[in-house]
Amino acid sequence: MTEPLVSIRDLRVAFHGLPALRGIDLDVAPGEAVGLVGESGCGKSVTWLAALGLLPGTATVTGSVKLQGQELLHAAPSVLDRVRGGRIAMIFQDPASALNPVKKVGVQVAEALRLHRGLEGSAAEAEVLRLFDQVGIPDAKRRIHIYPHEMSGGQNQRVMIAMALAGQPELLVADEPTTALDATIQAQILDLLRRLQQETGMALVLISHDLGVVAEMCRRVCVMYAGRVVEESPSDELFSHPRHPYTKGLLAALPDMVGPRRRLEAIPGGVPEPWNMPPGCAFAPRCDRATPECGAGLPGFVPVGPAHQAACIHVQPATVPA
Amino acid sequence: MSLLSLEGVSRVYATRRGLFGKPVPVRAVDHVSFSVAPGRTLGIVGESGCGKSTTGRVALGIERPSEGTVTFEGATMPMPGTPEWRRMRARLQLVHQDPLGAMDRRLTVAAQVAEPLEIHGIGDETERRDRVAALLRDVGLRADLAQRHPHELSGGQRQRAVLARALATDPALLVADEPVSALDVSIQAQVINMLTDLQAARGIAMLFISHDLKVVRQVSHEVAVMYLGRIVEQGDPEAIFADPLHPYSRALVSAIPVPGPRRIERIVLSGDPPNPADRPSGCAFHPRCPLAVSACRAEVPQLKMAADGRQVACHLVEAA
Repeated sequence: MTEPLVSIRDLRVAFHGLPALRGIDLDVAPGEAVGLVGESGCGKSVTWLAALGLLPGTATVTGSVKLQGQELLHAAPSVLDRVRGGRIAMIFQDPASALNPVKKVGVQVAEALRLHRGLEGSAAEAEVLRLFDQVGIPDAKRRIHIYPHEMSGGQNQRVMIAMALAGQPELLVADEPTTALDATIQAQILDLLRRLQQETGMALVLISHDLGVVAEMCRRVCVMYAGRVVEESPSDELFSHPRHPYTKGLLAALPDMVGPRRRLEAIPGGVPEPWNMPPGCAFAPRCDRATPECGAGLPGFVPVGPAHQAACIHVQPATVPA
Repeated sequence: MSLLSLEGVSRVYATRRGLFGKPVPVRAVDHVSFSVAPGRTLGIVGESGCGKSTTGRVALGIERPSEGTVTFEGATMPMPGTPEWRRMRARLQLVHQDPLGAMDRRLTVAAQVAEPLEIHGIGDETERRDRVAALLRDVGLRADLAQRHPHELSGGQRQRAVLARALATDPALLVADEPVSALDVSIQAQVINMLTDLQAARGIAMLFISHDLKVVRQVSHEVAVMYLGRIVEQGDPEAIFADPLHPYSRALVSAIPVPGPRRIERIVLSGDPPNPADRPSGCAFHPRCPLAVSACRAEVPQLKMAADGRQVACHLVEAA
């Protein structure tokens, strides 16, 4: 395997002493697309907010996040300023609240160009026009002079993407980038992200609650539950042969678009509260395969196939060495 | 016989362009007709601003149609605010996306579920207490949660509490506007199963409004696809989602990301849905339609019966 671009080891986050992230290991290779899926509160966003030093002071963060060997956790602000928006850019679910409502969109993108690439004046304007063109905003010459409220949600997300591209990042972290958008606009934005990734060769981390979105965009997927990764797999394999009971449960709970309609198999109960974390496997109280041994300790990863592992003591390890 | 029927219903709002601009009429709902039979579910799908929620509000009698008629249980919907309207409100209930916004944060769950019974004067105090307990049991809420306040519940539990309240007056029709959109997948499945179980047990009819095609397919007996205030395709959900005929439905179905192999080739539409105040001529979908011909710009297509009995409003789809 090539040297990872980002390497996260045993990343732990606690808010006011309550654990939100309970030991994450994750590598992102240059140019690859990785999906992080899971339900609200599983820690998929917190992982990247912690990695980039974006959490408030009330959070305790431990572990290691390395960008090509350089430690980012608790790094000096001057180091982080160059990384954030420069080498690693992030876009969020709600573009309207991430943009400044009283500044013209072109000015906001130009600001990113000045900070990360030192472009000013007409050079910056030319680059803003090129970026708008690249992210598919029509009539860019006029559009750079309007305000976020004059654009639709889809167009605002394109502006956010243009701003993220301004620093020519090696990694784009997209946190639920299409969740607030309509289905046909979501399809446009996903298409755009896929095309930009091919054009620029940047890596993409896609954080989503939508298994379908992740399946279409990513080669590799990590499923998270209660602050841990419970299954990691190539995405085709994950959706055809899920191994962790939680992943299986999530897929069975999803209504189908084709085939006969069946009663949904809901996962009983709810996600455990951070102050009420069960001992051992956090999914055990909702799991139909749980046995007393599940409560004995945190389950480690069991290799179940090529590049496929699941954190469950009941999965059969792969018989053929991967 | 149908329980609820809408006949040629339009809802027009007047908006102003700028501070001193002339009022512009916006047809949020435009010539919509459908009916819902007792115990059946009509799913309405479409994107933001297509008029699906306004259709729900008109069906509930919260808003008057600007044109057309709404008939419920054989009678025309009375004027809002009249005694007849108040009586009818007990028979029609609304559940929407955000349960926290729909609840009073200072009242316990039990007090909120009892409120419709008090308003409509149903039962005495002991009967109400028993009824609340039974309702909470029906929606799968533990008895000890009855004395909790909304902020002490999870999102799924809150939506169950809102449903218990909606069911308190034993309604004949439930308008569910994005009822599971704010919930996580595993909880969403619990609430969907509960809705279909309650429908089977009580024979409630449902108008199920959602942008999520997978969820709508799961719960609906019939589906209507809306675009810019009009129904563009209506019929059996299996048929529409497996083989959409209207170019907009086709794009919408193809846009749904699915885990596993894709059956329909993805159609990525260009542009955004148009502003309802600036409705394109002819078929409102023609500026984004990959198949549009000159007739589409000139003439509004009417819903007509296609070969398998579904209704489609497109010049390019052959009528049966």
